[in-house]
Amino acid sequence: MHTDKKIKIYSTPTCFYCVKVKEFFAKNNIKYEEVNVATDMKGREEMVKKSHQLGVPVIEIGHEVIVGFDRVAIEEVLGMK
Amino acid sequence: MYDLIIIGGGPAGISAGIYAARKKIKFLLITESFGGQSVVASEIQNWVGIKSISGFELAKKMEEHFMVQPGIEVEEGSLAEKIEKISSGFSAEGGPAVGWKVHLKNGKSFETKTILAVAGGRRRRLGVIGEKKFEGKGVAYCSTCDAPMFAKKTAAIVGGGNAALGAVKDLSAYADKVYLIVRSENIKGDQALFEEIKKDKKVEILLNSEVIEVFGSLTGEFVGGVKYLDKKDGTSKELKLDGVFVEIGSVPNSEFLGDLVKKNKYNEVVVDHGSQKTSCESIWAAGDITDLPYRQIIISASDGIKALLSIKEYLNGGK
Repeated sequence: MHTDKKIKIYSTPTCFYCVKVKEFFAKNNIKYEEVNVATDMKGREEMVKKSHQLGVPVIEIGHEVIVGFDRVAIEEVLGMK
Repeated sequence: MYDLIIIGGGPAGISAGIYAARKKIKFLLITESFGGQSVVASEIQNWVGIKSISGFELAKKMEEHFMVQPGIEVEEGSLAEKIEKISSGFSAEGGPAVGWKVHLKNGKSFETKTILAVAGGRRRRLGVIGEKKFEGKGVAYCSTCDAPMFAKKTAAIVGGGNAALGAVKDLSAYADKVYLIVRSENIKGDQALFEEIKKDKKVEILLNSEVIEVFGSLTGEFVGGVKYLDKKDGTSKELKLDGVFVEIGSVPNSEFLGDLVKKNKYNEVVVDHGSQKTSCESIWAAGDITDLPYRQIIISASDGIKALLSIKEYLNGGK
């Protein structure tokens, strides 16, 4: 599907739920930018500042910040339902 | 109407599904996602036939093995919400012709003659002051996900099973200092893994120690440490920490079964451990949703198969 909203996924390489989020976006043909917070310190700071917490994945869709692979929340923000 | 609905896609559900497909039972497998609780394990070294594999890789292999079976039907992405008794017109031993309607959270429903409940469990919480307040703010439940966030920091893992020992290894790869806080005197996990951890200079092990509170840092926004009871001398002590990883087992996802089956005080479904039958005819259960004493991937997988073979007998009219 097409969306004008900018999407960023903050993740770590060994995180199962991060893989699942990326699979979800790939399956729906939605483009996203990935930030590996295991190595990207600036990205990590950005993630903590935006989400006020330390867990991954964090999904930023436009101005909305979703913590964890919350499929229902993602679909809602993207207007998929 | 299906002959069987399998509710859950962890090791028990997948193994039962493979057997059901090979026996050409008309069945549906309902799961939110495949793999079960061990998908977050960084390393599994006790799955027979594979020396070492990540939980994620093992889950993927299991899912692939199931998905290549011909004629399978899968409803993925939603959870079972409740089960309703209906008439099925099928009776195994001349008893009442009971069937079931499985209602999902996404509004769909499916009808079946028999049910195999393999919905597993979810993380057990410590249930102490501060745990909820600091969840995600230092309190974490997935070490393979969040360990890198504690690089050059101090973290504690609470628990004494293999999941806790694995988490110690995950954290030790990043953190400067790792505590393992174990409530009892003994480690429940594998000795081989424990010995590996004991050699790690970053790791300090606190046995007989029970966490009683998670407290905040100076700013109050993130975790500052834990208070724990040292049961050896009966005093309360403090540890300054940046992260607390909770790995103290699971609680069963048995709510959707309501009062249809007998459960124990932990809400685990009571089963006959030979056949995996529940107290309710035509409902079986296997894996971490049940009152099994040992929680292992391989045991869940084999219990799923025991259940399926018993279900097959039932569908054949008790033969």
